[in-house]
Amino acid sequence: MAVQGIWSGTVSFSLVAIPVRLVKAIEPGRISFRLLHGKDYSPLRRRMFCPEEETMVPPDEIIRGFEILPGQYVLMTDEELESVSPERSRTIEIVEFIDRKEVDPVYYDHPYYLVPSKGGEKAYQLLVEVMRRTNKAGLAKFVLAEREYLVAVTSRDGVLALTTLHYSEEILSGEDLSPRKEKIAAEDQSRIKKSIEHMIADFDPGKYADGRRKKLMDLLAAKVKERAPVEAPAVEEEAGEGPADLVAALEESMQKVKENR
Amino acid sequence: MSRTFIEMAGRRLSLSNLEKDLYSTYGFTKAHVLEYYRLIAPFILPHLKDRALTLKRYPEGVEKDFFYEKRCPSHRPAWVKTAEIPQDDGERMTVCLVNDPETLIWVENLASLELHVPLARADFPETPNSMVFDLDPGDPAGLLECARVALILRDLLSRMGLVSYVKTSGRKGLHVYVPLNRQETTFEDTKTFSKAVAGIMQKHYPDLVTARMAKKERDEKVFINWSQNDASKTMVCVYSLRAREKPIVSFPLEWRELENPAGPGDPERLQVTHSEALSRVEKKGDLFREVLMKKQKLPHL
Repeated sequence: MAVQGIWSGTVSFSLVAIPVRLVKAIEPGRISFRLLHGKDYSPLRRRMFCPEEETMVPPDEIIRGFEILPGQYVLMTDEELESVSPERSRTIEIVEFIDRKEVDPVYYDHPYYLVPSKGGEKAYQLLVEVMRRTNKAGLAKFVLAEREYLVAVTSRDGVLALTTLHYSEEILSGEDLSPRKEKIAAEDQSRIKKSIEHMIADFDPGKYADGRRKKLMDLLAAKVKERAPVEAPAVEEEAGEGPADLVAALEESMQKVKENR
Repeated sequence: MSRTFIEMAGRRLSLSNLEKDLYSTYGFTKAHVLEYYRLIAPFILPHLKDRALTLKRYPEGVEKDFFYEKRCPSHRPAWVKTAEIPQDDGERMTVCLVNDPETLIWVENLASLELHVPLARADFPETPNSMVFDLDPGDPAGLLECARVALILRDLLSRMGLVSYVKTSGRKGLHVYVPLNRQETTFEDTKTFSKAVAGIMQKHYPDLVTARMAKKERDEKVFINWSQNDASKTMVCVYSLRAREKPIVSFPLEWRELENPAGPGDPERLQVTHSEALSRVEKKGDLFREVLMKKQKLPHL
């Protein structure tokens, strides 16, 4: 299976280093639409607009500012931003192994898979198997797309999974949101408990599907059959221009050609 | 599947399904296709040499599905010459170079009826050997309208000091080639020049010519496709068969053949079939030879 890798390097801890590639674990089912011009079906482009001058702003006039007070900014250059960007990781260095059960799901951010690269298959399989049996997760720091992530490496379906985790400072506590404590009657508690027990099932996410997505896909399929899709005008460079010298010479030659025909 | 083994230049080739009818309404089998390419080889090979071949394969014949193959098939014999060419995504791709008759026959055994090549050679992919004007008529315009446009184009280029050559596309259009054969000329140059020429042609002959790609602009007019002057584009090679009902060839014409449209004539009379192609090269040699040899500089760039 040749899956395009997002990153390649090694997973390592103590004396083990396993060459791996990072691949995506999620194919988002979102259906997206292009925005078109209703008159001629041209796909629309976003451009930056300056409301003060009422004009479009070219890319070389766009800079970054951090808003410290309304209307007041600290400017930041690309170089300055780059100076604080972490260096690209070559390794995913596991620093601790923890119990998987210990990780509150609220920390899970985005899942990927790690697949073995050439030469790493054996050590990889060993790690997959041991982590599966012990139900451990390896914690590591990892830089991806200029961001530094805390990640959990786990064993899943015979492969290593890598999940980026939120940092604890990003997590909003639920404490402040919980209502004031009130006395709960014992019979109320057991009634709720019973109702829940009635509805116990095994977790089977395959039973559920995105209903809107399904309907939307059906609708699109029906529309495709019903009538031909509208076509955007071909985008092309305008023919005819060229270096002034050349155009003048062509014009002169063309006049002569016409006179002689 | 039937197999026939042949030996060419000491190399053993396994040919398959020679009896398969590839042009079924005309009755032209794979054996006929191989025979055509064997006989035309001395004429077509100089034009294929060292260029990244795009195969256009018709395994079930011209009426059935075809597919393009840019990558040189991995099951190729060890003696097939290849080149590594960079792609847009930075990866490199292995392509076939058809430099000898054996490779040509091997490629044709894959039912690659049409042979398409870039305007540049694989080792200098940014240096086109020629500038091309791909004349493509929009219905109901046809070959005769193309011939009119080609002649005006020839005269215009000639006034600019450039000699040009013409071949049939083997479909509905004509291809006008301007030999360059200079290291210094890039696709950027040929694109700038051809675009300006197409623009002038459209300006002076608005009812006959369009330089715009949009389909609706092309009705009844001859589209001068200048955008073929690009490292990523390919043109059907001169002397290649085309996949139509009849085995018609993309074939070089003499300008005077376009000048004397014999009466209202059937525009199809300009088309050259496989047998006519072979008898013509026998008599006249390679009319496109100069396209590979002649050195010309694009003026005013």
